[in-house]
Amino acid sequence: MSKPKVAFFDFTCCEGCQIEFTNYGDAAFLELLNHVDVVEFREAMSEKTTEPIDIAFVEGSFSREADRARLESIRERAAIVIAYGQCSASGGINALKNHQSDYKQFVYGADAEQPQLDSQKAQPISAAIKVDYSAYGCPVNKYEVLQIVAHLLHGKEPVIPNYPVCVECKRRETVCRYDEADHCLGMVARAGCAAPCPAYGVPCEACRGFVDHPNVPALEKVLVERAGFSQKRAADKALMFNANDLEALS
Amino acid sequence: MTASFIRSDDFAAFVTALIEAGPVYGPVAKRSRFAFERLETPEELRLDYDVTILPPKKLFFPPAQDLVTFDGAGFRAALEPTEKVLLGVHFYDVKAIDQTDLLFSERNYDINYMAHRETTTIVASNIQTVSKRAFFASVGADVEPQGHDAFLTAINGGYVLETRTERGEALLAFGAFQPATEAQIAEAAAVNVAALERCPEELEHGTEAIADKVRAAFQDEELWTTLAADCFSCGTCNTVCPTCYCFDVQDTWNVDQTSGQRTRFWDGCLTEDFAKCSLGEGACENFREERAARFRHRLMRKATYLNEKLGGPACVGCGRCSAGCTADIADPARVINQIMAS
Repeated sequence: MSKPKVAFFDFTCCEGCQIEFTNYGDAAFLELLNHVDVVEFREAMSEKTTEPIDIAFVEGSFSREADRARLESIRERAAIVIAYGQCSASGGINALKNHQSDYKQFVYGADAEQPQLDSQKAQPISAAIKVDYSAYGCPVNKYEVLQIVAHLLHGKEPVIPNYPVCVECKRRETVCRYDEADHCLGMVARAGCAAPCPAYGVPCEACRGFVDHPNVPALEKVLVERAGFSQKRAADKALMFNANDLEALS
Repeated sequence: MTASFIRSDDFAAFVTALIEAGPVYGPVAKRSRFAFERLETPEELRLDYDVTILPPKKLFFPPAQDLVTFDGAGFRAALEPTEKVLLGVHFYDVKAIDQTDLLFSERNYDINYMAHRETTTIVASNIQTVSKRAFFASVGADVEPQGHDAFLTAINGGYVLETRTERGEALLAFGAFQPATEAQIAEAAAVNVAALERCPEELEHGTEAIADKVRAAFQDEELWTTLAADCFSCGTCNTVCPTCYCFDVQDTWNVDQTSGQRTRFWDGCLTEDFAKCSLGEGACENFREERAARFRHRLMRKATYLNEKLGGPACVGCGRCSAGCTADIADPARVINQIMAS
């Protein structure tokens, strides 16, 4: 059997999730190439393809109507489309601009009106095309990505957690941020990262997005009552990676 | 079995001798909390701990446990039990271990739990510091802790070690023990009774009355919806519980796509997908889709469903769930007292 063809594409993003794919170390990365045929991946090769693809990893959010045709072309050619990274899965950090109007002037100053800078709301790629699976995170967890690939190679459904980061903190016996007079978003954040941040004493920022049904009112209540946040700060706390989801839930 | 005494000055040498003989696990400080960890020195041991983040169950039933490894040609058991000493277990955690011992052996003899359990010598210890949400004195009060090999109680000038089994008796060879006097044995008994009187919380009713009334509240949708309004479905109450024993099993492949492992992970009935079942042909159904149904299920499991099988409630009053719940809605004592008062 020929090896599945894998390609990477990027839209509005920093391409850091693609870089993660090159961070397995030589031995693991070269071993992986024995099992998949990478046909387009501009972080690591010059070749491109217009042929059918088995697995398309699509990084970045959909923030320009002009990108729709390219997304549709990827979808038509790909048997499986994976939203690769939080920008692609939920709009990610890019969605912070959705509630602002002066960002172009602020960022580009006198050059703000150049046509290539024109963009609309930052949305997940699922706003344009059907997505089969999501690899969450800012950046993705490269070990989870390996397991997603492994499951697909074995004809299995990838296993992607829909429980919060609290589960992973407790499994590794991390002292809860709230027990140290801190705050945390772990109770609403999708696990799958193995909860490294709280283990180092840093609150979870929910960079893998929310679980399917986050209890956002309870989160605000806990941030106010236990972490001493103002109501406004509590309401805005999860915006960084979850602006689109918070808007949809409000 | 026997009751012996060891002077405080000789205790560190006893622990050192145990550590030199094999792995010893005990409560150690972890930032502002405590955890059972493998001891490297006797100074790390904190018998004055209040409660650990995770229960000692993790030594027999780890949060993630490889069951089998495979390599394409075949598979083999991952289990490698080693003789070890578990030192400083409070009586409520011994009661919880009694429950998991039964649940992992009564029908399917779970070798991956039992092999670790059978290679562990458990030394219980008295509760020097009572945790802020404990109610161990009033829950299943007539259920005695069983599964320990010796019981260590700090008294003036040293410790009384009461042995319960041959394994416990064998520990005496590691330290400068002498037979305990009647007065020392009486002092140890008084210390343990006094700990029961220091619980900050208590159940106001007996096991059977609670079981009946909690079960009768099953259909009260408004009650459960209100109680679960702030629930995150985060599973913390399950994950820190010494009597929870549910797990999920997953296969992972190594990058060669041929070898890999089958691993079981702690699971929890509060998490959203716990009760999600396959209906075949890609369809699935979640039979506890609402937060309130999941919240209710846990309370039913702890207060009623397992009582007959276990001979008491499936809760030992350690207070871990109460303290671990960020929304502070999980406290079984508060919830049960509220239901009993309604």
